[in-house]
Amino acid sequence: MTTKRLSWIFWIALLLFLLLYPHIFGAYYTNVIVIFGIFSLFALSVNLLLGFTGLLSFGHAMFFGVGAYGVALALTHIEGCPLLVALLIGIGSSFIFALIISPILVRASGTAFAMLTLAFCMLMYTLSLKLRNITQGEDGIGGFPIPDLNILGIVSFEMTDPVNFYYFATAVLLISMWGLWFITKTPFGMVIISIRDNAMRVDYMGYKVVNSKALVLLVSASFAGVAGSVYALFQNLVSSDGVFSIMTSFAPLIMTVIGGVGSFFGPIVGSGVMMLLEEVVTRYTERFSLVSGIVLVLVVMFVPMGLTGVVKIAREKWVLRRAANE
Amino acid sequence: MDSMTAVYIAQGLHGLAYGMLLFLVASGLTLIFGMMGILNIAHASFFMLSGYFCYQILQWTGNFWVGLIIAPLLTAIVGVVVERFLLRRMRAFGHVGELLVTVGIMLIILESVQYFWGTESLPLPPPHILEGMVSIAGIAYPIYRLFVIGMALFVLVILFLILYKTRIGMIVRAAVTDPDMVNALGINIPVIFSLVFAVGTWMAGLAGVAIAPIITVFPGLADQIGMDAFVVVITGGFGSLGGAFLVSIVYGLLNSYGIQFISQLAPVLMFIVMALVLIVKPMGLFGERE
Repeated sequence: MTTKRLSWIFWIALLLFLLLYPHIFGAYYTNVIVIFGIFSLFALSVNLLLGFTGLLSFGHAMFFGVGAYGVALALTHIEGCPLLVALLIGIGSSFIFALIISPILVRASGTAFAMLTLAFCMLMYTLSLKLRNITQGEDGIGGFPIPDLNILGIVSFEMTDPVNFYYFATAVLLISMWGLWFITKTPFGMVIISIRDNAMRVDYMGYKVVNSKALVLLVSASFAGVAGSVYALFQNLVSSDGVFSIMTSFAPLIMTVIGGVGSFFGPIVGSGVMMLLEEVVTRYTERFSLVSGIVLVLVVMFVPMGLTGVVKIAREKWVLRRAANE
Repeated sequence: MDSMTAVYIAQGLHGLAYGMLLFLVASGLTLIFGMMGILNIAHASFFMLSGYFCYQILQWTGNFWVGLIIAPLLTAIVGVVVERFLLRRMRAFGHVGELLVTVGIMLIILESVQYFWGTESLPLPPPHILEGMVSIAGIAYPIYRLFVIGMALFVLVILFLILYKTRIGMIVRAAVTDPDMVNALGINIPVIFSLVFAVGTWMAGLAGVAIAPIITVFPGLADQIGMDAFVVVITGGFGSLGGAFLVSIVYGLLNSYGIQFISQLAPVLMFIVMALVLIVKPMGLFGERE
């Protein structure tokens, strides 16, 4: 009972902290935490495939990018498009894009899956550069109007105000993270974990492996789309190098691996660690990618269970030692 | 001869040259993939690294031929070090770890290259003997590109001879099909792995030096050919050399004629071919195992 009460206290404290955050830390750190939230959700969606289903997506930026471009195009071309509708268009375009390519993707697994996702992400990158009349090529789509958040015509919040946007983004991202967490706890979540552990046996037990893989891909793509949509609203600029580049695919992967593959909260920890590292490293050198490359190699080689894995092992050791002493 | 035919021939030679270089890169990628199951994300980075090595050697000695010989060898040495000290330790932990290590290596090479040589594109002139044009069937064509086609063909013939006519080639082909069985027969598979990795990075390095005089050396050098090589390996079938060869040439030609006729969307053509092939054959044209 006490652990349950403690976790309630923790969540309420966290909500209070997030509520007061922009008033304590100021504009710069408010933006930092929005980016942190976007990449946490993005990394969580990657981990739903990698850690829970055992599918390594090397081109997850395509879902992120399609969502971002969806929002940008909707706001540029639809006159007076409400904020939530734009958000839904972004998520919907990621979902539909995943629906189109999933028949090709789900037949593969392992390295072949990684390679195919990489190839499709490259295709989207090339398309976004070449379809100049839609995506404006290298320049990207920028300066589209960000509509106010209008709730039932009663209250309206101006989204150009960073603090208002912070509350909006945090709410959307937290709800999405909760949704992802909820999915891993449903019977469907159990099925995808068993597909990771032994796909053939799941097949014999009468669950449809390929269909489940397709479904989890759609879910993961939609949540990556949420992250991409919020990113587009936050940056007010969507460009191929920003959302479809190979680094956009690798960043959430690196975060997931550093935080811990398979642990639900691992990607959030990893995202936080990488953000902190970036804050510190960029004070001394521009070569943040070099540092993240070295960190990635070291973590994969020496701490493959990630940070949350280390904490878990340390806690188990501590419990064992205490039990031995008693 | 009318000018349209001339354009066709010139574009065909361009496509052939690019297809050959593409195959030099893709063959290493597909061999490494077939044998070790590693999708080497850093493969194209070795290609770029070799271009920079050649530039540096040219700065020191002023001789292109020295660079052409030494730079790919240096690249192969870097490749073997990476294989021996990083990838070999990861083998027991499955493919995801190996993939992520190659991602890390890609980042490290990309950033180191910018640290040592800056971000500008560096010119790398071909030797005097290969400068200028030669007339083939009434069209002027750069000698250097013909040299590239010839050199790539030469390397390919040697590679096929080694693979299909020697004992070591037989072992490598057997290891592509079933590494565990070959290991059980008493052949030192880790050494064969290192050897294949070395040859693969050497060929990528050779292609990197060969392409440098055409499009100069810059940090984005690896992007285009790396992307193309992955698509070639997927379309041709994982681990299939013949498939990689066929698809490389087809893509080379598709690319150069595509630029001629539908310039905007030419790079998308090969993705369309890839998607069509995958819908019919999920393992690629000649792929057999996953």
